[in-house]
Amino acid sequence: MHMANELISIPVSGVTIGAAAASLGLICSRIRRELVSEKIALMGVLGAFVFAAQMVNFQLPLMPGTSGHLIGAVFLATILGPNLAVIVLSSVVIIQCLLFQDGGLLALGCNIINIAIVPSYVGYFVYRAIAGDRKNKTRLLAAAVVACVLAAEAGSVLVVVEATVSRVLLVPVGTFLATMAGVHLLVGAMEGVITVAILSYLTTVRPDLMEGITADGILSRKAAIISLVIITIITAAGFSLLACGKPDGLEWSYLERPDRPDFKPLIVNEDMRIKAADEFHGKIALMPDYSARGASEEHPVSAGWTSLAGIVGSAVCMGIIWLFAKLLRPAKPATK
Amino acid sequence: MHHSYLDKYADGDSFFHCLDSRVKFLAAVAFSAFVLLSGPKAIAVLFCFAVGPFAVLIWADIPLSFVFRRILAVCPFVLILALSGPFYDRLPENVAVGPYVFSLAGGWLRCISILGKFTVTMMTLFALVCTTRFADLLAGLEKMRLPQVLIIQLGMLYRYLFVLMDRVHHILRARSTRKLRNLGFRRETEIAAAMAGSLFIRSIETSQKIHIAMQARGFCGQFHSMRTMEITRRDIFFIAGVIIFLGLIQWGVKPFMGGAFL
Repeated sequence: MHMANELISIPVSGVTIGAAAASLGLICSRIRRELVSEKIALMGVLGAFVFAAQMVNFQLPLMPGTSGHLIGAVFLATILGPNLAVIVLSSVVIIQCLLFQDGGLLALGCNIINIAIVPSYVGYFVYRAIAGDRKNKTRLLAAAVVACVLAAEAGSVLVVVEATVSRVLLVPVGTFLATMAGVHLLVGAMEGVITVAILSYLTTVRPDLMEGITADGILSRKAAIISLVIITIITAAGFSLLACGKPDGLEWSYLERPDRPDFKPLIVNEDMRIKAADEFHGKIALMPDYSARGASEEHPVSAGWTSLAGIVGSAVCMGIIWLFAKLLRPAKPATK
Repeated sequence: MHHSYLDKYADGDSFFHCLDSRVKFLAAVAFSAFVLLSGPKAIAVLFCFAVGPFAVLIWADIPLSFVFRRILAVCPFVLILALSGPFYDRLPENVAVGPYVFSLAGGWLRCISILGKFTVTMMTLFALVCTTRFADLLAGLEKMRLPQVLIIQLGMLYRYLFVLMDRVHHILRARSTRKLRNLGFRRETEIAAAMAGSLFIRSIETSQKIHIAMQARGFCGQFHSMRTMEITRRDIFFIAGVIIFLGLIQWGVKPFMGGAFL
């Protein structure tokens, strides 16, 4: 689920980082006033709890050898409310990026949106909309499962949207969307099961902790409307991508059909459509490299030499750096 | 688990360790952006980019085996998406390496390019993280006007991450010594939920104790630090180096590489 730098383009990265920063800033300034030291300590420890809880794995049915674990977005959102949950989960995503190198620096905006912001809000509002103000236990548990599934789906659709808008991948939108949605249906269902299990464990063991969650169901109608709007927007984004999948796949139009692997493409490099696609790439890649590429097609051998020189030169450079570092570094003390 | 388990190399004292964390952070972001700006099938130029983080890692005395083991551990998602390239783009393209010219499917070029960019930007991230203590990075980010709520949250999370990880290791060890076979999905889920639930209760109790301790020490919503951060000559030297390196590759090397092919 964590996007890497390479799956998004620079404009997408800029826009998502801006959006994530803006919404985090907004949330921070809103909760700043009501933040007492109790909440500060609670949020910090619960962030660490998310990491620790993700290490608690359990066997999945039907798939021997695989194991699932809690992700925690909906769990936290139901317990802390969406605003605090967003801050906690964003800090988890940032630490995952900086300390565990999961997800890239430029994809941080995407990851915060996909993993923290959207699942928290979707999960919270769906949970509120379904759970209502009843104290019916089955209804609460059903709400948790549906909220988990929808939160996971919303995040996965956003991954597809960001990757497709970036045009880095070659996978057709339909296939990609179906795969991601399918996988995250399973992930969301598993997440729902474990969330429900934890919530019911907590209600039996520490009912005093859980009272606040089940008691106040005041904003259920508002919650229903907001969750519907969010889900509609995300579904619309997914479907609009599917709908414009064909024109969007300008560069796939001249490619081979994926359903017939032994199909040999007859088109050669002079084809107009490839030129158009290249031109298009030149435009979206910000670096108009297609003229240079044309030159390399005319003189493949000389281009080959320059690139070989680049590779060998880089390797030699690294070798020299390594050697110098080795020679210049003071001898290490033997204790280590 | 000691708290410096993850960033155990960040306590060094090399040239790069002593730089201002803001400078390093911005340099890493700019460097990653320049790497991503190279074309979708660029491969050769990535080798040139790799020299930068490689030099930092070597000079800062960070073992490359550590870096590459961690990169391998986080690559599966990217690997799957990159390997889907060859299925969808089988149009052969001419690839020239020195005197040899051969043809390779465009999808493979893209695949290699994505993985190359992944490796280079990951090396950059490692060069940043392995030379900067997390507290310094947070102080730098705070100076760069990140909301203080988020900074405090990150600091608290980092502080208690290792405490709770130790706890979960104890719980997992207890389970593995008592549970000797697969008990079926329902029972397994119940056990996992009880583990996570009890961990949650203990976390809440810990946070209440922390809150009492904070109040006892007069916490009033602000964290104070004695640290002063200023840009020194060393930082300016580093910034100049990064600009020259990136400029040289972007406008000196890339145009001759042909952008697209090897």
